[in-house]
Amino acid sequence: MYRELKYLLNTITIFAVATLSIVILTLIFIFMISESLPALKSVGSEIFTSFNWYPTYDDAEYGLLTMIVDSFLLTFLTSLVVIPLGYIVSAYLYAYANLREKEIVRSVLDLLSGVPSVVIGSVVLIYIAPVLITFEIWSTENLLLTIIGLTILSLPYVVSLTYESFESVDKVLFESALALGSSRFSALFIVITRAALPGILNAFILTVNRIMGETMVVLMVSGNANIIPKSLFDPLRTLTSAIASEMGEVELGSLHYSVLFVAGLILLIISLILTWISKSIQRSWKH
Amino acid sequence: MKKFWLVFMLLIMGISIFATETLVIKGSNTVFPIAQLWIEELKKQYDIRITLEGAGSSTGIAALFNGTADIANSSRWLKDKELVRMHEEGKYFVPFIIGYDGIAIIVNKKLNIESISLEELKDIYTGKIRYWAQLNPNLPKKPIVVYSRNTASGTFETFENIVLKGEKMSPTVRMVESTQLEIDSVKNNPYAIAYTGLGYVTEDVKILKVEKVMPTKATILSGEYPISRPLFMFIDATNGLPDRGPVKIYINFAVSKKGQELVEKAGYIAAYGF
Repeated sequence: MYRELKYLLNTITIFAVATLSIVILTLIFIFMISESLPALKSVGSEIFTSFNWYPTYDDAEYGLLTMIVDSFLLTFLTSLVVIPLGYIVSAYLYAYANLREKEIVRSVLDLLSGVPSVVIGSVVLIYIAPVLITFEIWSTENLLLTIIGLTILSLPYVVSLTYESFESVDKVLFESALALGSSRFSALFIVITRAALPGILNAFILTVNRIMGETMVVLMVSGNANIIPKSLFDPLRTLTSAIASEMGEVELGSLHYSVLFVAGLILLIISLILTWISKSIQRSWKH
Repeated sequence: MKKFWLVFMLLIMGISIFATETLVIKGSNTVFPIAQLWIEELKKQYDIRITLEGAGSSTGIAALFNGTADIANSSRWLKDKELVRMHEEGKYFVPFIIGYDGIAIIVNKKLNIESISLEELKDIYTGKIRYWAQLNPNLPKKPIVVYSRNTASGTFETFENIVLKGEKMSPTVRMVESTQLEIDSVKNNPYAIAYTGLGYVTEDVKILKVEKVMPTKATILSGEYPISRPLFMFIDATNGLPDRGPVKIYINFAVSKKGQELVEKAGYIAAYGF
């Protein structure tokens, strides 16, 4: 009797907590959609086709296209830097580093992953930006700096995820490859990489997701100008930084407010798609 | 910083739930530092609960309509639609001028320029002038790096009204989150230009004359300096101004000698007593 009651109580508690998170997620979705509906209805396709973002003027324009392009561009370029870098670091950790080195590198990366993004933003802004001036680059908040900031921020992430997927491969595979006379290099980059491919891809997608949603660093060092950068030294503005910068003082319930929610909805949908891809990769891995 | 205020506000809100007499003040972020100094001082003298929220002039005035605030801080005069709404709802808001805010145009100290006209400023911010040499052949042939506060800022609103006069700011302008960032950028970058509240300007940058007038206390009060604005607080006086109570205490303090000294301390120009 007592046992059954205890069991029942436990089940209910666990069920309630689990449901709560699902309910919250659903509510967020409903909230985002209902807040962005007014803009989607009355502004319509202008949001996705116009490059002009002038939400506070009398003849307001609500084009998000520049920011959408910038978000993708920034994510693409950063991934281009951080993913190969992360892959190489984790390859080193897996195949070349001895225990001591492994420990040092991993704990440094762990520490780095704990550094708040606002601190990374400040460091980039205060110490790296002035260096650019000595090279006669007058635009000190730009695409290049943002990529550097995001790389510092997401490197620990991509390394630990990739390393884990290497680790999940049976050690026997690596050792047999070595025993059959392959070099460490080819054993790692051909044998292990192939075996761990789904995990690695998954790590990359999660990293892309992380970069896409990063706000603080971008807000601080991107320069926040609503243009599509033509060189590495041009400023830019992403969806996340637009939301962070303008949500603070926007008039509640106004069109401007609603369009910011559309921006949020776009990010949410992108993140959902990426998560879905990552899940289906994991699933195909199991079978 | 914002997070800090959020926690701060929540804390005050939490405390205020248990209080009997509460004064709720909402509105402009520009006026926020003044109101903060006032509240600190008032709390020493009186036993009243005051909650302060900086969420923008429009939000403050909207809260006054809803009755969710007793006092609305504003860095601008009422908009037409607000006047119409006041008329429709049969309400009457009384403005108090609490100080003036002058917007200084700042450049790097090394740049050989002393004065700028409103027209030139407008051309720079709308993107018609892109190089310093276009302004004056003696200036270097380098691109102008233009900084502005983000659209949420009251300073932006004033600048837009007085300088841009309805024209749109060029998308190449960098919208930054804080005045400090603007000043630092101008200090480090020899070809940058920015605008900030006069009270924030430091020794590290050069203030330009606008239309040949230097922004000083005297020129802002007299209205000679073109880019300045009065700062207001609005009070709902539909049923008359209160004779006693926290609102009355607050107003009295705001226009008192001590209150006006604190306006100067917050970096603005006092409206009374000088």
